[in-house]
Amino acid sequence: MTRGKAGYWWYLLPGAVAFTAVVAVPFGANLYLSLTKWSGIGDPRWIGLDNYSRLLRDEVFWTSFRNTAAMVIAMVVVPTLIGLLLSAALFDVIGRRFGPRTASFLRATFYLPQVLPVVVAGILWGWLLRPDGAVNAVGRAIGLGEHDWLGDPKTALPMVMLVMIWVQIGYPVVIFLAALQRVDPDLYEAAEIDGAGWFARFRAITLPQIRPETFVVTLTCTIAALKVFGPIWALTRGGPDNATTVPSYFAYNAFFNKLQVGYGAAVATALTLVIVAVSIGFLKVQRRAEE
Amino acid sequence: MRSPRTMISMGAAMVSLALVLAGCSGGDDGAAGDGGQGGTLKLWHYESANGAMGKAWDRAIEVFESEHPGVTVQFERKAFEQIQQNASMILASDQAPDLMEYNKGNATAGLLSSKGLLTDLSDEVASRGWDKALSPSLQTTARYDEKGVMGSGNWFGVPNYGEYVMVYYNKALFQQYGVAVPKTLDELTAAMDTFVAKKVTPLGMAGAEYPAGQLYYQLALSKADRSFVDNYQLYKGSVDFQADPLRYGAETFRQWVGKGYVSKQSASLKAEDMGTAFIAGRTPMIVSGSWWHGRFASEIKKFEWGTFLFPGNKLNAGSSGNLWVVPEQSKNKKLAYDFIDITMRPEIQTIMANNGGVPVKADLSQVTDPRNKELIANFAAITKDDGLAFYPDWPVPGYYDVLVAGGQSLINGSKNPDQVLVDLGKAYHRGVEEIKNG
Repeated sequence: MTRGKAGYWWYLLPGAVAFTAVVAVPFGANLYLSLTKWSGIGDPRWIGLDNYSRLLRDEVFWTSFRNTAAMVIAMVVVPTLIGLLLSAALFDVIGRRFGPRTASFLRATFYLPQVLPVVVAGILWGWLLRPDGAVNAVGRAIGLGEHDWLGDPKTALPMVMLVMIWVQIGYPVVIFLAALQRVDPDLYEAAEIDGAGWFARFRAITLPQIRPETFVVTLTCTIAALKVFGPIWALTRGGPDNATTVPSYFAYNAFFNKLQVGYGAAVATALTLVIVAVSIGFLKVQRRAEE
Repeated sequence: MRSPRTMISMGAAMVSLALVLAGCSGGDDGAAGDGGQGGTLKLWHYESANGAMGKAWDRAIEVFESEHPGVTVQFERKAFEQIQQNASMILASDQAPDLMEYNKGNATAGLLSSKGLLTDLSDEVASRGWDKALSPSLQTTARYDEKGVMGSGNWFGVPNYGEYVMVYYNKALFQQYGVAVPKTLDELTAAMDTFVAKKVTPLGMAGAEYPAGQLYYQLALSKADRSFVDNYQLYKGSVDFQADPLRYGAETFRQWVGKGYVSKQSASLKAEDMGTAFIAGRTPMIVSGSWWHGRFASEIKKFEWGTFLFPGNKLNAGSSGNLWVVPEQSKNKKLAYDFIDITMRPEIQTIMANNGGVPVKADLSQVTDPRNKELIANFAAITKDDGLAFYPDWPVPGYYDVLVAGGQSLINGSKNPDQVLVDLGKAYHRGVEEIKNG
């Protein structure tokens, strides 16, 4: 190492101190707690890996991870696919035919749910979906009868997924539209002159050009889906009968309702490890794709 | 949104703070003396300013200040959740108040008392005669053994109000459909049949929160005696979830859903939904607690309403209200005891009674509103017969969620009563084992 390079290490110090204080130490403490039995007061009692072996046998824990897979579909897969189509349509069709103002207005409309605090969105949807809510009023009006959407284990998770799709769609649309701004318009014009239709242009130009943004959207949304808490808390509190429980709600419940801090810490650790593993996997795939 | 990282940080912060605070308080025992010369009484509670307790205790502060010239009451109104989630850290620190309202039960006051964070009030209770104002079932929530299990041992809190579950009914709807106030369970079901025949769902319900669990428990209590309550709540004996009274509770609840007494569409509703439907005059009856009384009195203007005890039950869900506790770290314990004493006086208790509260030592001749009188008289009748059976979610920490899940399943029919009872039993027995084994 040269003398010059060594001098720059000092600049990393504030970041390293902050990381240690805000991330490393709390994570270490959480890891320690996950190896203890503790009600939140008094001294934690060391029990080794008991919390983890209990976790592996806990049906609710596995249900919560299955529900997380549903959240990934609702918060990543569907919004990204719809977002791609919507942004391409807004940029390539609406923007050109009806002008950029119309496209901006529509973009803002799609983004609106992202501006709402997620708990507010959850409460609003809770009103719409309640037994005497607007959704059932429409159902009754068109002769479909009524249903307790969030109170039936068969429909609660699909409804939560629907709400999350509604919440999420604006995010990929805005990111993809920003990405499309940097695509050279000549590419589209040339393709059009060559007789390429909208779908051919979408496949051959739009998709490859915005690949880096697609990675960013997929990664950030996957992390958001893995740690989702607010909408579950606002809509269903994990019910009915754990049909919508997710790991972060499961951990919250263990921490604050059951006073099983050690067990809650084990859930949080497992969730963190999953998120870190998924993130590393994503970044590797992205790097390989870029090479 | 609470991210995992936030949760981890919170967990770690809890540890670090607890360690720091424990360190601070370790060699500080002398500070928590009984001097009473501090000049301030630091008092926290979480009752709303316009509620019965809030009004009564405001007056108690005035009386306290006039009787303790030179002493200032430093009052802070806290949120229920704030105290619920942070009490252990607060009480372990030297920032603890001198006197605090705190939740009763094994998982709250019991847990903290077993960790030495609350002052043993036994001597004060005896010398000031507070125990004489409290019936045995009200004393249950004030006393905890060394493991923090309520019902025996030393006094770690003093309640000065009570609460219980009853039936609220809409007199206008009863009149409209020609239904009389039922006095037995059979009369209640006959009344509900009348409403169902007219396509009115008779009983308001909310499966996503406590009401379902309370109805299940009320039904179970109709077949129970004190020994069942002692076994279930105080672990004095074994509890069989596959036998009556709990089997009767779950099966009857499910039958009531089947017969249309309770809506099949109420699994996702919250207690607030049930209450507002009653306030709006859409529901003939709800089975719920005395905490609604003051709100109904102020918000229901369009029709007459009344209450009656769950027909035929000698035991009813209910208990003392929350407790006055004196943190071990309190610097002015004597002032705290003086304040508790003032809140037990008839003057303060009467303010509570006249504002829709349920005081423990009421002078009915001083209560003006007939509905308030009825509320207090019913409570007095229950406590006189040792009829308070506490709440179904109390036995073990985290049991509330288990009960909510069970209630939802009974409403939406996703599980039969057998399966629900298996789930309830499993969680109960596991929790009791944990408490017993520490």
